Amino acid sequence: MLRPEPEAPNGRLETELSRLFVNYREALPDPEPTPGFMPGLWRRIDSRRSSTGDLRRLAQGFVTAAALLSLLIGIFLTLPQGRVSAFYSNTYLEILAADADQSQGVPVDLEMVPVEAISYERAQ
Amino acid sequence: MLVDFELINLAREGDDAAFGEVVRVYRKRIFGTIARLIGRPEDVEDVGQEVFLRLYFSLDQLRSPAMFEPWLYRLTVNAAYDYLRRQRRRPEARMADLSEQQVQMADARASRQEARSEQDKRRLRDMVAGLLGTLSEQDRILLTLKEIEGLSLKEIEKIYRVNENALKVRLFRARQRVLKAYAGLAPAGGPAQA
Repeated sequence: MLRPEPEAPNGRLETELSRLFVNYREALPDPEPTPGFMPGLWRRIDSRRSSTGDLRRLAQGFVTAAALLSLLIGIFLTLPQGRVSAFYSNTYLEILAADADQSQGVPVDLEMVPVEAISYERAQ
Repeated sequence: MLVDFELINLAREGDDAAFGEVVRVYRKRIFGTIARLIGRPEDVEDVGQEVFLRLYFSLDQLRSPAMFEPWLYRLTVNAAYDYLRRQRRRPEARMADLSEQQVQMADARASRQEARSEQDKRRLRDMVAGLLGTLSEQDRILLTLKEIEGLSLKEIEKIYRVNENALKVRLFRARQRVLKAYAGLAPAGGPAQA
């Protein structure tokens, strides 16, 4: 049975279609694998394994390099701390306070000049 | 299950001999399913290798050996679907094409008694491929699993991990569409080709 009967009722069409599918299943048996199937499969598996291995090695290399770099940065940040002068270790406020103390200690000897005596020429 | 759980477990643990045995047991069945899903016999082995390759590298994700077969079918369906997407050359049998087939089949009435002849088989394959070609790739695969592979709804549910009712609706619609296309093959008059 290939074609449906003309004007077949829907129920009969359903049955015919189901039978058609069964016949199709029988007309297409499971194909036998060729002798090259398994060797080909193992070749593909080995190829994927090696490419996965390469990727893993690359990733491990990156991780090692990143860890080494972090270690070096850590060493760089800890070692030079002893050589920093006291000036740079003070806070901004401490430096301002120290500067103000120094200014107060200098004797100031100002000559009192009347305002009228100040002229542009003299200032020049 | 065609193999025992122990073999699946060994394969999961990386035993290549056990994996080889699993492939040997299942390959023919999987080839058959692939052949009926993709409709191109020359590419069946290639897609089959892809299925077992994916199986090899995903077997450790299998939670229970009891889920092995749905898992394998899922890989098969995915590989077939990927193949069809890559190829984009599924038989685009629309109603117009089917009418052409109808004409060709009318010419071959003489051979209707030889139901199992090679010519009839080929014609049958072309016809079913044409009918299934009226569906989307997803629906075609789904209907093939149900109607041609003979999987139960429960089995398909496990493969697709979807609700059974949603599957039923989708299958019903797909079947109705194929039925409509099949009804369109009926000649205007004359006897049925039985």
